[in-house]
Order: sequence, then C-alpha cells, then structure tokens
Amino acid sequence: MSQADITLEVAIGTLKLQNPILLASGTCGYVHEMVGAVEVEQLGGVIPKTVTLHPRKGNPPPRTVETPCGLLNSIGLDNDGIDHFIEHHLPALRGLRTNVIVNVAGKSVAEFAELCRRLDGQTGVAAIELNLSCPNVSGGIDYAIDPACTREVVSACRGSTRLPLIAKLTPNVTDPRPIAVAAVEAGADAISLINTVLGLAVDWRRRKPRLGAGLGGLSGPAIKPIALRCVWQVARAVDCPVIGIGGIRTIDDVMEFLVAGARAVQIGTANFFDPTVGPRLVGQLRGALESIGARTVAEVVGTLRL
Amino acid sequence: MANWLAERCRVLWNRPVAERTWRMGLDSSAVALRIRPGQFFMVRLDREDPLLGRPYALYQVVEWPSATLGKALEFVYLVVGRQTALLTELRPGDELDIWGPLGNGFDVLPDSQELWLVAGGIGQTPFLALLQEITGARAYGLSPDRARPRWPIGSVRMFYGARSARYLACLGDFKSTGVRLSLATDDGSVGYAGPVTEPVAAELARVDASEVLVVGCGPEPMLRRLADVCRERGARCFLSLETPMACGYGACFSCVVSVRTGDGHDYRRVCVDGPVFDAEWLVEGGSGKAGQ
Ligand SMILES: Cc1cc2nc3c(=O)[nH]c(=O)nc-3n(C[C@H](O)[C@H](O)[C@H](O)COP(=O)(O)OP(=O)(O)OC[C@H]3O[C@@H](n4cnc5c(N)ncnc54)[C@H](O)[C@@H]3O)c2cc1C
Ligand SMILES: Cc1cc2nc3c(=O)[nH]c(=O)nc-3n(C[C@H](O)[C@H](O)[C@H](O)COP(=O)(O)O)c2cc1C
Ligand code: FES
Repeated sequence: MSQADITLEVAIGTLKLQNPILLASGTCGYVHEMVGAVEVEQLGGVIPKTVTLHPRKGNPPPRTVETPCGLLNSIGLDNDGIDHFIEHHLPALRGLRTNVIVNVAGKSVAEFAELCRRLDGQTGVAAIELNLSCPNVSGGIDYAIDPACTREVVSACRGSTRLPLIAKLTPNVTDPRPIAVAAVEAGADAISLINTVLGLAVDWRRRKPRLGAGLGGLSGPAIKPIALRCVWQVARAVDCPVIGIGGIRTIDDVMEFLVAGARAVQIGTANFFDPTVGPRLVGQLRGALESIGARTVAEVVGTLRL
Repeated sequence: MANWLAERCRVLWNRPVAERTWRMGLDSSAVALRIRPGQFFMVRLDREDPLLGRPYALYQVVEWPSATLGKALEFVYLVVGRQTALLTELRPGDELDIWGPLGNGFDVLPDSQELWLVAGGIGQTPFLALLQEITGARAYGLSPDRARPRWPIGSVRMFYGARSARYLACLGDFKSTGVRLSLATDDGSVGYAGPVTEPVAAELARVDASEVLVVGCGPEPMLRRLADVCRERGARCFLSLETPMACGYGACFSCVVSVRTGDGHDYRRVCVDGPVFDAEWLVEGGSGKAGQ
C-alpha cells in the first residue's frame, strides 16, 4: 500500500469533506485575515467566528490571558450581526474553495431559529454549527447545559433549515452524553465538542480577575485530555458523527481524536500561535494513516480499546 | 487577501544594547522583503510555555550578505516577562518562528509641515525605519514606487524618554539619521528630568501647533498624556499602540481598543486596524476602558 491508496474523505451526514481537518469558530476570524498566508483550500473546511442576530460589541479588554499551556478568553461574541455577515463576509467566504460552516448563537430559541432560516437560502453555506455552549454571553445559563433546552433549540433550528446541523457542546457539565443524545434526537446531524472550559485567572495584587469580563473559557493544549474524554463518551452514546475539538496542534493529536471516536476535528487556539498548522496537518495525515496500515479515516474512528 | 507570511528564521545576532534591552537580527526572507515602517511581526519559540507568539515592531532591515536573501530583519526588545527572557538565551544559528508583516504601519500618517516623533522607553523601536525612509537611506516594502514619507529631515524632531540614561537604547542609530533628538529621563540622568511628554508640551507652545503632526509610541499613560497635550495645543496626534496580542493577524479579536463611532463606541482590532491610530478616534487615548 502506498500513500496514494489512502483517501482522506469523510462524511458528516450529507456533508462531504475532502479531509477531516477544519478550523474552529472564533479562531480563524472571517478567514480572509489568513488567506494568502494559509492555504485554506487544503482544509476540509473553515468555521468563521460566531454570528448573532444583532451586532454585539463584545467584552471589554483584556479579552485573553495566557495560562500554562493554554489561553483563557472572554471575547464576548464581538460581531456585526447576521445581516452584515451575509452581505459582507459570505461573498468572500464563497470564493474560498473549501467548505464553509457557519456558526451561529442566539439569545433565545426564536433567535437561533431565525438565524438558521436566514442562512438556509444562502449559497456557499455547507452546514450550520449551533454554538450552544459559549460561556461568555448568557449570564450563566447556556443552552447546552440542559438536555431539554438543547432539544428545544435544535428542533426549532431543524424546522428552519435543510442544511446539515452540527450541535456544538460545552464540557462544563457533569456528563455531556444526555445533552448530545437530546441534540441528535431533535435533529442534529453531528455533534462537535468541546467548546472552552470555564475558568478564572486572578491578579491577586489588584484582587481582580485578569480578564475584563471576569470569567473566561480555557482552550489550547491544556484542555486536550478533557476534550478527548468528552469525545470518547459522546461517540459511544450517539449514532451520528462526532467532531473533536480541544488542544489539537500536532498530527498525533489529530490521530488521538480519531481513535477516540471523532470523524473530523477542528483546530482552534493552535491557529493563533502556529497559523499554518491546519494545512500542515492535512499534509501529514496520510503518513499517519499509512503508519498503522489504514486506507481511510473511517477505519480508525472510534477504535480506542479500553 | 492578507499580505503576511509565516517563516522559520535563523538568529544572526542577539546582543544587549542597554539595560534589559537587546537587539536581534534574523535571517528572514518573506517578512524582511515586505515589511514597512510602523508594521510589526509575531515571534514564537517552539515550546508550549509560553504558548503564544509575541508582537515586535520592525526596527530595521539591514543588508547582510550571509543571509539567505542578503537581508536581516532586526528588532529591539525589552526584557519584561517569559518570552523576552527566553529570547536573551538564543545564540546565532538558533531558530524561531515569525509571521508578518502585520498592521497598517506609518503609511496612514497624514501630511503636515512638521513631524514630531515621541518615544517612551521601548516605544522607540518603530521610529528608526521611518526616519531611514525620510532620509532616503532605506526603502522598505515590495513596491519601490510606493509614496515615500514627504517630510524633509529638517522638519522632523524626535523626543525620546526613558527611566534613566542606562535604558536609552541605540542612540547612535537615531543620531545617524540626522534627526533633531531631544532626550528625557525620569531620574534626570540625561536630558530633561521628567516625562518626555512635558518637553513636547513646552515646544508645542512655542510653535504653530496646527502645523505639527505628533506620533507617539510608548506606555499607555504616556500616550494618554500625549494625546491630551496635543488636543490642548491643537496639534494632530497619531499613536502606535502596544496592546497584548494572541495571534497578531486578526483571527482572535483579543487585541481590541475602544474607538468612537457615530452612536457611541465600538471595538477595533489593533493588529489589523492599527497599530497606528488617529488619537482623536480613540476613546481615552486608546485605553479601551470607556463605554463599558
Ligand atoms: C504592535 C506591537 C509592537 C511591539 N513592539 C515591541 C518592540 O519593538 N520591542 C519590545 O520590546 N516590545 C514590543 N512590544 C511589546 C511586546 O510584545 C511585549 O513586551 C511582549 O509581548 C512581552 O512578552 P513576555 O513574554 O516577555 O512578557 P509576559 O510574560 O507575557 O508579560 C510580562 C509582563 O508584561 C506585561 N505585558 C505583556 N505584554 C504587554 C504589552 N503589550 N503591553 C503592556 N504590558 C504587557 C504583562 O501583563 C506582564 O505583567 C510590542 C507590542 C505590540 C502590540
Ligand atoms: C479566542 C477564542 C474565541 C472563540 N470564539 C468562539 C466562537 O465565537 N464560537 C464558538 O463556537 N467557539 C469559539 N471558541 C471555541 C473554539 O472554537 C474551540 O471550541 C475551543 O477553543 C477548544 O479548541 P482549542 O483548544 O483547539 O482552541 C473560541 C476560542 C477561542 C480561544
Ligand atoms: S491579536 Fe488576534 S485579532 Fe489582533
């Protein structure tokens, strides 16, 4: 067998990806910021920053603090709203020659459904990812900490669009499985996880949080074991594809997530400190599969033995 | 489309130049060819702690025959924390990752009769390359027919303040451009004794301030004071900001500063919309603290 015999294609429901490497929402801006420096057409897809129904200024700075092997952030969904996104960002995203998955967040079930309805008729949108789990904006209540809320949001979105729906879940729960099951029962085509882990950085001399907004979400290599655990748990609990996110920066990380049960992965914080990481990992994936005698990605997904 | 690239660079030199201040030369191909005065680039060491890259202003590009493209990219850094401490340990031949050029740079400066550059501490770094273009000693960037800065060197002044004489770095480089240089130190060990903004205020009172464009770079309190001084005296003021940055190229929305908009304020990314801003556009001299 040679590397030419290996195919990297994966399917997330009806969505076909040329390879399982995606860039995570909030970590690649609106993508045009990196085009030219990063070969985004090599990727399985990109997920621009979360879009909300109305413009949001976002949180006061400082919005990020570096922690050991990690990053704590509270950006606060700074964005110009769905109208601006469709008019201004989507035309540029359509020209990218890779899948564009649009990530949305609503303040209510109705807002989520409206966002999906607005995107439904748009060309160039390959799928919608529902950000059910952003810890920075909802004043403590996130849809994805409760199965009933998750079910309600996902089913309202399901009724508003035929596009593939990916429910993005939070790790800030006792057990992610009932929530994932609720999302799938309500019509989600895939589950992506994890979003950031709720945290706090303290400036003890000033007796103040280091982030302008107080609490923040932890990301980066520090959270990888938590993410792997969540992916493994959820992949065994649901029948649909799982997309793994959390601390991925090397090809070994990618393979660990596939083996734990992820059919695709998203690169987040690593884009910040290693901007060309995504295409590089795509280039390394064939070699990693070959080294264990696999011809397809699907062959290794969920092969973890306990 | 973005205009920056990522590359791995070899260190060509790395040596102390003043108290806690070092200069490092890199064998850069992509960034050295493209970068213009006032722009910056990100530097990262291949390790998980510190995890993120750090931004540094272009100091200068110098001809260096032994470099891959015959050019060395130089930056000057003050040791303040984890990465800058680790940088001092690098030796010629060691490698690090950089990406750039990033930010708008000094091309956004408007015309004026006179140009006054005001540097606080390590905030001096962006000004040398600008002065080199003004004198015609160097040309930066890929398009050689880009409009050059239009100030004759005789209409340019530089005010440079630091904690003490020991912290004043690379004075010879600045002097060799022929710029009229005024120094200030907090402890009075050389030049004016006190904040560098005070001689600027005094000099602005002696001239027709409306003909002066003041460009500042330095710590936040100094920039705020400088913007106030300029507003009081009627001089235009641009500031080059040094907010902490996680990515440097617009992906994370962490580096924001508060700017005035028609209906109040909004946040803008310093790494793509700056680092050079019209002070009048900034809320509170760029501290980003207003309007919350
Ligand atoms: C556009 C731009 C250009 C810059 N150019 C230069 C340059 O030419 N030379 C140079 O020496 N520095 C420059 N800086 C600042 C430089 O990026 C920081 O000093 C550097 O990130 C410190 O990294 P560290 O790991 O050593 O410090 P850390 O360990 O990250 O921090 C140490 C301490 O410094 C504080 N700190 C870190 N970064 C900043 C900051 N940006 N502003 C205020 N306080 C900070 C931290 O809060 C902490 O208290 C520039 C910054 C920007 C945004
Ligand atoms: C600065 C920053 C901003 C983020 N913004 C969003 C966002 O807007 N929407 C979203 O669904 N996730 C957002 N995330 C979460 C990431 O998409 C990802 O789920 C998380 O960071 C874990 O992956 P990582 O460890 O590879 O970064 C953000 C993460 C970071 C670090
Ligand atoms: S540093 Fe990431 S957007 Fe400016």
